[in-house]
Amino acid sequence: MRVVQQMRNQWQQLYQALPDCLLKNIVSEIPSLLIINLFCTILVTYVMRNGSSLFENWVFSNAIGSCCYLLIRTSSYFLWRSAPPNMFVFYLLCILLAPIGYIIGSALGALIFSFPINKVLHFQSSFISAFVAMTSLVSVIAAWSFWKKIQIAELISTAEKEKARTASIERQAMQAQLQLLQAQIEPHMLFNTLANLQGLIAIDPERAQHMLAQLIVYLRATLSSSRAENICLKQEFTLIQAYLDLLAIRMGKRLRYTLHLPSELEQEKIPPMLLQPLVENAIKHGLEPKVEGGTISISASKQHDQLVLVVSDTGLGLAFNFQENTVVDTDHPHVGNANIRERLLALFGEQAKFSLQPNNPEGAVATITLPVLA
Amino acid sequence: MNKVTTIKAVIAEDEPILSLTLQRMLVKLWPELDLCSIVENGIEAVQAALREWPDVLFLDIKMPGKTGLEVVQELAEEWPSEQPFPMIVYVTAYDEFAVQAFETCAADYVLKPVSEERLNKTVRRLQEHFQARTKTQNDKQKPDTELDRVIAQLRQLHQIQLPNSPQSDSPATEKLSVIRAAIGNNIRIIPIEDVIYFEATDKYINVVTAEHSSLIRSSLRDLLPQLDNNLFWQIHRSTIVNIKQVQIAHKDDTGKITLKLKHSEDKLSVSRVYAHLFKQM
Repeated sequence: MRVVQQMRNQWQQLYQALPDCLLKNIVSEIPSLLIINLFCTILVTYVMRNGSSLFENWVFSNAIGSCCYLLIRTSSYFLWRSAPPNMFVFYLLCILLAPIGYIIGSALGALIFSFPINKVLHFQSSFISAFVAMTSLVSVIAAWSFWKKIQIAELISTAEKEKARTASIERQAMQAQLQLLQAQIEPHMLFNTLANLQGLIAIDPERAQHMLAQLIVYLRATLSSSRAENICLKQEFTLIQAYLDLLAIRMGKRLRYTLHLPSELEQEKIPPMLLQPLVENAIKHGLEPKVEGGTISISASKQHDQLVLVVSDTGLGLAFNFQENTVVDTDHPHVGNANIRERLLALFGEQAKFSLQPNNPEGAVATITLPVLA
Repeated sequence: MNKVTTIKAVIAEDEPILSLTLQRMLVKLWPELDLCSIVENGIEAVQAALREWPDVLFLDIKMPGKTGLEVVQELAEEWPSEQPFPMIVYVTAYDEFAVQAFETCAADYVLKPVSEERLNKTVRRLQEHFQARTKTQNDKQKPDTELDRVIAQLRQLHQIQLPNSPQSDSPATEKLSVIRAAIGNNIRIIPIEDVIYFEATDKYINVVTAEHSSLIRSSLRDLLPQLDNNLFWQIHRSTIVNIKQVQIAHKDDTGKITLKLKHSEDKLSVSRVYAHLFKQM
């Protein structure tokens, strides 16, 4: 039947373009609609020979085709939006709407030519067998194009999966590399500390003993935290305290520091190697190169259900033309700011923030905001 | 007439414990050495050296103010030509690359923590050098040879680019295309090609173009890695010039080089360390 044939045509068109914005898609499908209607016109006029003129058939074809198309298209849009439609329901929809579209279309055609409507409908029903043949042909074509569509969709989905897998592998590699870095202690720091320790033994043995004790605390804390997934703030602050103590021996009066960790936050967990690199950077870029030295302050607080960790210093401040996202870290292999940002993004997504701002009146302030880990 | 002149040394080391250790060890290995000045940063190191005119300089590489290399560079420029240039001994922490760099250009170095044996070798070498120098003093040997040697070393070290030196040109640095200078409430945008030269003062850099000069808050050390080094050459420790803006390099009788610029009346002097850049092709 012509109804069924029209229905298949619309169905084919619908799957030539994934429905996105309704109007835009309809407009882009109009050419195909016209072509198919024309095709039907030719078939009806010259193959089926229903006796009407080419022009008449063309008008009817377009009227019916457009009505069916619009009906099915808009209703499928309201049912599924941009999601792929359920095939069975879609078939059902076509079967239900096509007769309506057909009748409306025929009526429209009749109106245009001022034919009486019931005569037109009666006329069309006499060509049933031809219509059935045409319908089968169109169905096969439609089914084939639908099958192709599914194949394409499957290929796309496989490609997406591959991409996701590669991304995940890269991320895992980054994590592994990071863990490797974490296990290393910067040789410069270590040898400088040992050099001071060796000198101190001859100069002031008691202070040397204290320094050695602090070095042991620092090494132990660093090695154990690099293996853990999360460490509590108390442990991290102990590590940082030992680190700053060692540095204070080396830098003398050029380094003053304060640590502030409220007792209720001591057991809060944070990822390892997050706070300490910030302290290292503050010293390395801010305080160590400054002739008079300065003060570094590290604090933890809770604001609106988030952990706020702040490292501020009164050092040289941020370099000229500093851009938060690209800090040149000439001392490889150590954790740079870009790395910290990446890790925060990988671990917490949008919930974590990292910022590096100038401090007043001089120096820099690094702030990490984290969601409180359960 | 004094046959034996005391050998004077200046020590520049920012970590007090290491400084004290080095002093003690030198006293033990070379008691006649006069440790005339002990300083803790690069700026004081230059001042002390120009004041005391020491024969030996023990220089830490990583120091606040100026690094060991920067100190030598400044001294190379400022040193009076009648005085023999001091023997430089670099004191450096564990750093494979630094060690290799120093060995390649025959600079003397000592590793921290200082081992007595190693320091002793350096001391012996220095003592031999000074004994030889006293003998040939009468020949009025040109004191320039030591200076030339040091300048050659500096150039080599800059080329090798010690990994911890601030001038490390990591390829990741994005090169500047404009300079943003604050003038009151406005920001002046200066295309990098318009800059004729950069001149450093205490905390600022003067950016000079054909039309105007503006100040930016930075040091040459921070700026240099962000400039295209085919276009911008450092010619002096406080000057970087846009080489395309240079018309003539004039060498006077003393060997000093001055640059004449295309679009400016200013004349720029080139320090000894960078004089080799203006040799004929």
